[in-house]
Amino acid sequence: MDLRLIMILMEFVSSFISFLIGYYAIKGYKAISIKELLFLYLGFIILGVGTLMRVISATYFAVIIEIFEPQSGLRSLLNLAGLIYTLTQLIAYSLFTTTYILQAKALGERSVEVSVISAAAFPIYALFFNPSLELIAIIMLGFIAVHSFINWLLKKSSESALVFLGFGFMLLSHLLFLFMIKEPMLLFFGQVTQLAGFLCLLAMLAKVSKAHA
Amino acid sequence: MPREHKEYRSKARIYVDILTSIMKKGGKSRPTRILYGANLSHDRLMKHLGQLIELGLVEEEKQDEAIIYKLTDKGRKFLIEFIKIEKFAEAFGITI
Repeated sequence: MDLRLIMILMEFVSSFISFLIGYYAIKGYKAISIKELLFLYLGFIILGVGTLMRVISATYFAVIIEIFEPQSGLRSLLNLAGLIYTLTQLIAYSLFTTTYILQAKALGERSVEVSVISAAAFPIYALFFNPSLELIAIIMLGFIAVHSFINWLLKKSSESALVFLGFGFMLLSHLLFLFMIKEPMLLFFGQVTQLAGFLCLLAMLAKVSKAHA
Repeated sequence: MPREHKEYRSKARIYVDILTSIMKKGGKSRPTRILYGANLSHDRLMKHLGQLIELGLVEEEKQDEAIIYKLTDKGRKFLIEFIKIEKFAEAFGITI
């Protein structure tokens, strides 16, 4: 099976989960007007839109490259798509960071198959990669993951554990993306890890929606 | 007289504390019981109960000269929804 197709499908599922979490957050914001929920909504919607954009652009470029020879114009377009995707991720992570900073501030005020790889898959995705921006994403996700870990230590609930695992897997995926220059297969494993992160968040959402009075 | 929490409570949290207090009494309760359950002063409780009636989450009923506050279906749904939102927010470390 074409690995490119698997990666596109994985990212599509990730963006769908991101939209679901965003929907739940805005539902919460509309009901109780807590601004942290608004930041969470904006973060997940932007992350979902960015991921979906990458799915569409990766599919488009994969088709175009098979028809035409890679030209400089196409290459710059690829770079632009990659930059937009990374920027949407950074905006989303900034919003998550803001959520946690706001919450910390508020608490302070109150109390305190891999063998059948398609060789064409990697070059396209590799062009979306920007090491400097990836490092910024890692720093932000590091903060978010540590904060969600502390939250799990305080709450000891399965839902908070799933959020920590979700952000933890996302952090791991970015670390894997950072080293894909050395080992291209890490891109695939990074995508798998990223999907695992979103699946943890989906599991959390499923648990929460079963809650009753 | 019981002292109110020094800890800040959002309006939504106060509403939920009132609704939970009524729910624990089988869906209808006298103001005195709600007052203790929600940890509010009489004046503040009456103000919030008025708002909850306006929102259709609670309804007033007369029973042998006494006033009883009853949880409506909308109130019950709001409470269930709030619990879900609270669990969701708490999973991300957000305290409501």
